[in-house]
Amino acid sequence: MRLNDWQRELEAYLLGDDPTANPALRASLLGGPALSAEQGLAIYHNAYRARLLEALRGDYPAVHGWLGDAEFDGLAGAYIAAHPSQHFSLRWLGAELASFIDAYLVPAQAAPLGELARLEWAFGLAFDAAAAEPLSLAQMAALPAEEWPNLEVRLLPSVQWQLCHYNSLALWRACKAQSEFPGSLALEQPQVCLIWRQGLISHYRSLEPGEAAALHGMAVTGWRFAELCAQLSELGDNAPLQAATWLRQWLDDGLLQRYGG
Amino acid sequence: MSAESSSLGYGLGLRTPYYQAILEQRPAVDWFEIISENYLVEGGKPLYYLDAIGEHYPLVMHGVSLSIGGPHQLDRDYLRRLKRLAQRVQPAWISDHLCWSRGNAHQLHDLLPLPYTEESLQHVVARVRQVQDVLERPLVLENVSSYLRSADDQFSEWQFLAALSELSGCELLLDVNNVYVSARNHGFEPWDFISGLPKQRIRQLHLAGHSDYGSYLIDTHDQPVSDPVWQLYQRTLRHLGPVATLLERDDHYPPLEQLLGELEQARAYAAEALAGAPTCA
Repeated sequence: MRLNDWQRELEAYLLGDDPTANPALRASLLGGPALSAEQGLAIYHNAYRARLLEALRGDYPAVHGWLGDAEFDGLAGAYIAAHPSQHFSLRWLGAELASFIDAYLVPAQAAPLGELARLEWAFGLAFDAAAAEPLSLAQMAALPAEEWPNLEVRLLPSVQWQLCHYNSLALWRACKAQSEFPGSLALEQPQVCLIWRQGLISHYRSLEPGEAAALHGMAVTGWRFAELCAQLSELGDNAPLQAATWLRQWLDDGLLQRYGG
Repeated sequence: MSAESSSLGYGLGLRTPYYQAILEQRPAVDWFEIISENYLVEGGKPLYYLDAIGEHYPLVMHGVSLSIGGPHQLDRDYLRRLKRLAQRVQPAWISDHLCWSRGNAHQLHDLLPLPYTEESLQHVVARVRQVQDVLERPLVLENVSSYLRSADDQFSEWQFLAALSELSGCELLLDVNNVYVSARNHGFEPWDFISGLPKQRIRQLHLAGHSDYGSYLIDTHDQPVSDPVWQLYQRTLRHLGPVATLLERDDHYPPLEQLLGELEQARAYAAEALAGAPTCA
């Protein structure tokens, strides 16, 4: 058999469900007394699944904890079949799991589980995102007063913005603490959860709706500081103080980088 | 420069569970071998520890996804990133495996053996040359543990490696444990393999543990080096003289002290073997 044909046969065998090789592939192999061709094929067939499953379990411990071994493995197997690995690194194998869950499960189960999967993936993204220079309180303190109105900022590359409709963060925390899993619950109102890396340490924090809208306006939509104050005008004279308080918090958290200026 | 004269000594595979202990203890390890793919990321802990440990130890880059024998086009983006990592790490050399890990359509994430045929040889030689052109250095290729043998083989694995090295200019990473595992699985003499390789092309040795399934072995890297592999290592050193030796561990991680003890064992076995071995004078 030509090399390319043989490799195509072996690839199809490894990706397929059937651990029995087709006759052409089987005939291309020599077995021996220590290890038959069938045993050798089975070693690679099992290893392929085990390796990919292990990667997904590692990336999604809370989804795994929620579903348990059998259900998680069933989901992961269906995912791998639908999304065979395209990246040289297993780091990216699970990138589409949340979207897959959305379509694979019934909506009542898909919505909270997909959200939990997105949250776990976001922690991974924050973990090894590019480093960038955070805007510091000291830099802000040195900013001349006339530059404040035009100040523009953006989120640092590690910051992940997750809108949660369920208690996914509580599920994630329970998994991390290896404590009893709380039941899945819809939140009374959706809540933004930020996940980011400060130095080498991963952080997360839930935002109240007002703060979330302000941060989104400034760091995602691109408001200048003066626009933020204007957006808070219903606070009257307190608007600049509230804006400055939040900004200080965001700088303390290490969420922002200077944009322009 | 001959492989012998550039021996780095005795190294360990750099793995996440040991990062902090290495920085705090600065153990007497001559060098570390990194898994290149673990550092092809944008930032965070992997690159922080890589830079910090690289300040104190020589590093070697060892990849697992070049897929030098694969049916696909070589991944130019991967090669560019590997080269960028090499600029950061300044590795003593860059290695990967004589295998394929990616098929026509998908990544297979395994070190799959090739049929050892004239066709495979031409295919791999051409690709090694392309990789060496990008990396601007000789590629170092490792023999894999295997569980399949092609009925079409025209060469033994060691004849194939020798010819590949001769035709492409690549160097060899001789994994002594992989030789032992494949020899047991396929029924050849491990010494035929090792003595059949061109001595001057062997840049590095690997040592690791395997799992015994009765009639066959699996290369698991999850336990200490076995006695027969130590014996084969000593015989290899008597034959080659000093060669950079790397101990790998990829699962069931013991405390660092235990791994350092095993590396000391390698030094002691090597000293005993080299007492009567050829020198590089």
